[in-house]
Amino acid sequence: MGPAAVSEAERSAVTEFLYIEARLADEARYAEWLALWTDDAVYWVPATTDPEADPEKHLSHIYDNRARLETRVKLLQTGHRYSQEPPSHMRRLISNIEVAKAEEDELVAGSNFLLAELSIQARHETHWWVGRATHRLRRVDGELRIRSKKVVLINAAEPLPNLAFLI
Amino acid sequence: MSLYTDPRIFADEMERIFHRGWVFVGHESEIPGPGDFVTRTLGTQPVLMVRGSEGGVSVFLNRCAHRGTMVCPAAQGNARTFACPYHGWTYGLGGELLGVPYPGGYASFDKSAHGLPRVPRLSSYRGFVFASLCPRGPSLGEHLGAATRLIDRSCDLSPEGEIELSAGWVKHQCAANWKMLPENDSDGYHLGFVHLALFKTIRTQYRRVVGDEKTIRAVVRDWGHGHIEIDWSPGYEGPFEWLGGASGSGVDDYVAALERRDGAEAARRRIVEGPAHALIFPNLFLGETNVAIVQPVSVEECVHWHTPIFLKGAPQFNSRLLRMSEAGMGPASFLMPDDLIVARRNQAGLQASLAEWIELSRGLNREYVDAEGRGVSHVTDETTNRALWRHYRQVMVEA
Repeated sequence: MGPAAVSEAERSAVTEFLYIEARLADEARYAEWLALWTDDAVYWVPATTDPEADPEKHLSHIYDNRARLETRVKLLQTGHRYSQEPPSHMRRLISNIEVAKAEEDELVAGSNFLLAELSIQARHETHWWVGRATHRLRRVDGELRIRSKKVVLINAAEPLPNLAFLI
Repeated sequence: MSLYTDPRIFADEMERIFHRGWVFVGHESEIPGPGDFVTRTLGTQPVLMVRGSEGGVSVFLNRCAHRGTMVCPAAQGNARTFACPYHGWTYGLGGELLGVPYPGGYASFDKSAHGLPRVPRLSSYRGFVFASLCPRGPSLGEHLGAATRLIDRSCDLSPEGEIELSAGWVKHQCAANWKMLPENDSDGYHLGFVHLALFKTIRTQYRRVVGDEKTIRAVVRDWGHGHIEIDWSPGYEGPFEWLGGASGSGVDDYVAALERRDGAEAARRRIVEGPAHALIFPNLFLGETNVAIVQPVSVEECVHWHTPIFLKGAPQFNSRLLRMSEAGMGPASFLMPDDLIVARRNQAGLQASLAEWIELSRGLNREYVDAEGRGVSHVTDETTNRALWRHYRQVMVEA
């Protein structure tokens, strides 16, 4: 027997959640963004598009547990994180959302993103970021929360400009 | 300030520094088995570093001997042969030309004269492979001089005396002149300013260099030939501060292995001092628990590559080394993005060319030459910058 079907209500809730997370990141609303994560969160941005990548063997761009995720956010909140001071102007489009049931009553959502970033910390330059995110979501006190998020950039293994914002 | 902004000077640097001189290509541990390869650049020229079927390491220009097509577009991999996609010329792992389709078009054809072009000179030190595109000039040993000790300092932390670069590279794009990377990598003055966010957020081993000027004990050193070092270790008070502390049975086993090899005193010194923080001119940065490459792209663009060093015989540190590498270096790390945005602003400011010179006199009042002939000064002094530029001038004006 295959996994249980995802209801329209769940699909709609996940979609809305992804939109909200994207907007909080775009608008540098750091504390609100951090509040979306569980205590056992893992935030992973591999440095390769290879699906076999193992963060215990291979270098990643980001492989944060909750403690490091909090450090990442605190840096941004100091006002001295010069690579994001002032924060880049950003808008991201989320599309091609696929939602499935996972173990432990969790949901897995895959989505494509296209993010335009205007970096305004030196010369004003636009960078484009494209990839696919995989969120694993869990209900905590009735609210969807991020247990893990993996972001695979199409150019993960290429030279990247600063990625000090929240992707 | 045309040294940072003039494309003609950039072209001259590629010729004099990156083609005539010794340039770091990669580490032998990146290509452990026959047919393993990585592609790199020497300056802006594409090269291919390959492990041959007999186990030797070769570096070839990554261009077909026929019409110049790039033979291998992959960053790394394993191959039995390299085939040019244009007309099907095929090469073996030793660069030998194996096959030319439709040989009837040549009256006589000497395949042995049409292999993948080898770099004129290739040499290595403790697994670090260097190449020169010029058949003549100082040997690698002469180029490195006493700075081999900096490489030793990192390698000897391995119980087997070898580091391994097997975690893959992160490449960080920098919209500034390439020289700003070695200048910043060897600058001990900027930490408390560029990295203020980090010091306000967490406790790091670098905190000892952001206090009162008189209490800072770390130093900078000029090893000659453009090789320059920041040595944090005079400020370290115990073992493994460079690793953010370490304890447990795995660490005890590691220390015991070093003691068996080197004796207690030398082992203690190694675990207190930690790996080197040094620039091997022009493009190899020994970034403590990382190795980094400075890749020039154009006069206003370069790439900073990095990978953690794994200590052969001490895999218990690998996970920590990976996480430290991600914390310190790369586009999403807690240090380098701030360095590179400042480099970008530096590059932008230098467009104001009416002001011709920058100021690099810091520490002239207190630097000294030690018993081994190395220039030494307070860690915030520009002794390293001057050493880099002194060597640069010599290389750029010599016949």
